[in-house]
Amino acid sequence: MMLCVKDISLSLGKMKILEGISLEAGAGKLCVIMGANGAGKSTLLKVIAGEYMQYQGSVTIGGKELKALPVATQARTRAVLSQQLTLNQPFTVAEVVSMGRYVYNTHLSAADKEIISYALKVMQVYNLRDRTYPTLSGGQKQRVQMARVLAQLLEAPDLEATDYTGRKMLLLDEPVTGMDILHQQLSLQLASTLAASGVLVVAVLHDFQLAAAYAGKLLMLKDGRVYAQGTVEEIFTSAHIKNCFGVDVAVLEHPHCHYPLVVTAAAGGLFQSPAVKALKVL
Amino acid sequence: MNIANIKRVSSITILSVLLIIVILLATGTGAMHISPMQVLAILLNKAGFHLHVAYEENMPGVLWMIRLPRVILGALIGAGLGVAGASLQGLFRNPLADPGLIGISSGASMAAVVMIIVQSALPVFQQAPVLNFYALNLAAFAGAVIATLFIFRIARTGGQAAISTMLLAGIAVRALCESVTGLMTYLANNEQLRSITFWSLGSLGGASWQTVSGVAPFVIIPLIMLPRLAPALNLLALGEREAMHSGVRVPRLKSLLVIFATMAVAAGVAVAGIIGFIGLIVPHIVRQFTGPDYRILIPGAALSGAVLLTIADLLCRTIVAPAELPVGIITAVIGAPFFLWLIIKEKRTIPA
Repeated sequence: MMLCVKDISLSLGKMKILEGISLEAGAGKLCVIMGANGAGKSTLLKVIAGEYMQYQGSVTIGGKELKALPVATQARTRAVLSQQLTLNQPFTVAEVVSMGRYVYNTHLSAADKEIISYALKVMQVYNLRDRTYPTLSGGQKQRVQMARVLAQLLEAPDLEATDYTGRKMLLLDEPVTGMDILHQQLSLQLASTLAASGVLVVAVLHDFQLAAAYAGKLLMLKDGRVYAQGTVEEIFTSAHIKNCFGVDVAVLEHPHCHYPLVVTAAAGGLFQSPAVKALKVL
Repeated sequence: MNIANIKRVSSITILSVLLIIVILLATGTGAMHISPMQVLAILLNKAGFHLHVAYEENMPGVLWMIRLPRVILGALIGAGLGVAGASLQGLFRNPLADPGLIGISSGASMAAVVMIIVQSALPVFQQAPVLNFYALNLAAFAGAVIATLFIFRIARTGGQAAISTMLLAGIAVRALCESVTGLMTYLANNEQLRSITFWSLGSLGGASWQTVSGVAPFVIIPLIMLPRLAPALNLLALGEREAMHSGVRVPRLKSLLVIFATMAVAAGVAVAGIIGFIGLIVPHIVRQFTGPDYRILIPGAALSGAVLLTIADLLCRTIVAPAELPVGIITAVIGAPFFLWLIIKEKRTIPA
């Protein structure tokens, strides 16, 4: 098992953020975490990314305890795309993406440069490579960061040539924020292609359609606990979604679509809805 | 990627050539004028090469004993200030960071001023001339290091130094040090007041081969070590989290940056007093030409700091010759308007 999270709890100050979370994910899976705002999705991802060392429970990556892994070993095993990155200094796009190779070589080799160019092309930012990062739009910035993370993950300038089974993990926290529909699809297809090459991909997503189309395994969080986990078909029921998000939805089938479509059913009246009141949103 | 390499090599070459020219000019200028060619001939003569350039008999003496140590000291201290400024701006992810921010200047000032007052009050110092001579330097160095380590210690919680805490602790420690400095100034007599003023405005007047050899190791070690941290500093620009994800040992990086920056500045402050603005503006000037890449910025800032302080010292000992202006006045007079111009220019190019 590539990633094994056992009975994780985490408090920040006096707030309990995560409580008794367990998750197992093997190589070659695209594992999607969903949940309402504040359910603990990002925090769970940060624990797996090695950002919080004060958690209780155990996280093992490839059979080794996360807390015992040196930072450089972690960086060779897994790449992370975080939310809300700020970079104000005028580094060029190419410079930002080449930072992804730091853990392998502080001075770039020819092979490193090939991987960097490849990552730039895959995320369609190759033509922006000489632009300075702060002048990009939000969606372009996100694509550049994705390219940087890809440059850190890959071992060769090809998505499918190398077998990464049991060796590589990719963590994505809301990776498609600010991207247009083409690049949203592109990013998730990239994630599933990597998964097919043996990379374990764990992604936090908000979009039901993207999750339904690409998730190999779904984890739904509620109030810092695992509410349900399983396949898309098992998790995407109107009852589950109503319990987690407080919204009435219909789950539909469409002849042109191999995955269930989640459609909001109640356009108005949310402020009076008992489901929303039960969640104490208001 | 190749463009970056070309840029790095060419900017370092240009700055090195510039530094050599400035050093030759500065060593030749003063009460006795020695032309750059003569300076070169005298220097190469020592190394065993004989150029066919005529120079007067007393020129080598003036050059070796008076001019060269001062110019070398200025270049060393300037390099230390520049490299420390660039590293600290990277550490704080803030272009307004300078060595003063982590208590180096205020700690040194406080200790030096206390020493100036104590020195004339205690007979021990009058009886031991060696102690008397070095007491001020040692006190300033110790003050700088202690203030910085104190701030760093406060900011460290659970093995991690929180940068924002360090900034706030720096402000508090600075205020505390300045109040002690203020109190001492209030208690000082006329003569002490003069020493305090002179020290806090900075001067390279005390230069000798002895001071050069005292300062050199403290500046040279950071000059060798800090460029090695440049790739990690680039990643730190993305944030501490991202740097960690990418394989940087962030707590270790932060400790090394603080230690080397303090080393690079403290020894200079100890022998030459407070020389402001170099640490702040030099990285900005270099960034204008090279971009934010720390692999160019750090060596560039070292060379530019050396060039700037050498020029500033040349000005301060020539414009009111035979008297001397404190060098801190020159660096501030040139530095402050230049910095304002940079801010305005940046505001125009990048919309807020």
